[in-house]
Amino acid sequence: MLKIAEREFTSRLLTGTGKFSRAETMLNALDASSTQLVTLALKRLDLHQGRDDLLSPLRKLGVDLLPNTSGAKTAEEAIFAARLAREALDTNWLKLEIHPDQRYLLPDPLETLKAAETLVKEGFVVLPYCGADPLLCLRLQEVGCAAVMPLGAPIGSRQGLQTKTFLQIILEQAQVPVIVDAGIGAPSQAAEAMEMGVDAVLINTAIASSTDPVAMARAFKLAVQAGRMAFEAGVAGPGQAQASSPLTAFTEAL
Amino acid sequence: MQLTLNDHSIQLSAPVTLAALIRQHYPDNNGIAVAVNQQVVNKSLWEQTELQPEDRISLFTVVAGG
Repeated sequence: MLKIAEREFTSRLLTGTGKFSRAETMLNALDASSTQLVTLALKRLDLHQGRDDLLSPLRKLGVDLLPNTSGAKTAEEAIFAARLAREALDTNWLKLEIHPDQRYLLPDPLETLKAAETLVKEGFVVLPYCGADPLLCLRLQEVGCAAVMPLGAPIGSRQGLQTKTFLQIILEQAQVPVIVDAGIGAPSQAAEAMEMGVDAVLINTAIASSTDPVAMARAFKLAVQAGRMAFEAGVAGPGQAQASSPLTAFTEAL
Repeated sequence: MQLTLNDHSIQLSAPVTLAALIRQHYPDNNGIAVAVNQQVVNKSLWEQTELQPEDRISLFTVVAGG
C-alpha cells in the first residue's frame, strides 16, 4: 500500500482536475480512475462572476485534496499560496510547484528547496514537483518533504519517461515515496514507471485531453495496477537472447 | 473609508470587520481564503479583524488544476 506521511492509499494513481471540458466529465473520470488524491489550484476570485462549486462533488467522491501552488514564481509566492490553500481547504497537504519559466514550466530547484524547508517547519505535508535531479531529491527529502515528485518530461508534453536514467537513481536513494509528476502521456508510460518501482504517478493532461476521459482514466488505473503488480513480481532484467521454450532437437529425426 | 477588494475600490461609510465584508460579498465562504495586505488571515480571526482605511483585501478560491 502507498503510504505518504502516515496516510495510506490503496490507489497509486494521483490525478489532476485541470483541462477537462466539463466538470461532470472530470468527476466521472476521477471516479473511473479510483484515485484517492486529486490536485486543485487557487485563484483570485472574480467579483463579477459566480464561482462553480467544485468542492462539494469532490468531497462527495471521497477523495483527498492536494492543493498546488501553481502560478508561484518564487519561494515567497509559493509560501503565500500554501497558506491560502490551507485556509481554503482545511488541509496541510500541498503540492509545491514553482515554475518561473513560462515556456516549459520547468520547476525552479533553488526556490523549491527554499520553500519546502519553510513549509515543512510550518507543518505542511509537502510534495514537491521537481526536476529529475537525484541530488535535489535527496535535499528535498532531508528538509522533510513527505514525497518527491520528479518529472518524466515537461508538463503536458506527453513524452513519457525522458528522465528514466535519473529516476532510477532517485528510486535507489529515496527514503520517501517517489511520484512521477508530469510528462506521462499514455497508460503504457505509466505502467513503465510503475514497473521501475516508482511509488505512484500523477496524471492530468493525458486523461483530461483524451477523446474519452472516463475510459482513459480507467485505462490509467489498470496500467498503474499492472505496472505495480509487475514490479512486485520482479520484472526480469534485460539479457542476451535466450529461448523461453526448451530447444529440444526433435527436428533432427526428420 | 476606502478599501481595495480584489483590485476593486470600495467605499464604506462605517467601520466593518473582515467577516462582515466577506458575508456581504460571499455568503457561502466554503473554500475561500483571505489575505489582508498580503497576509493570510485565519478564518477564526475574521470576526475580530477590523478593516482599516486603504487595506487591500484579496479573496481566493479553489479551481480545477493539475
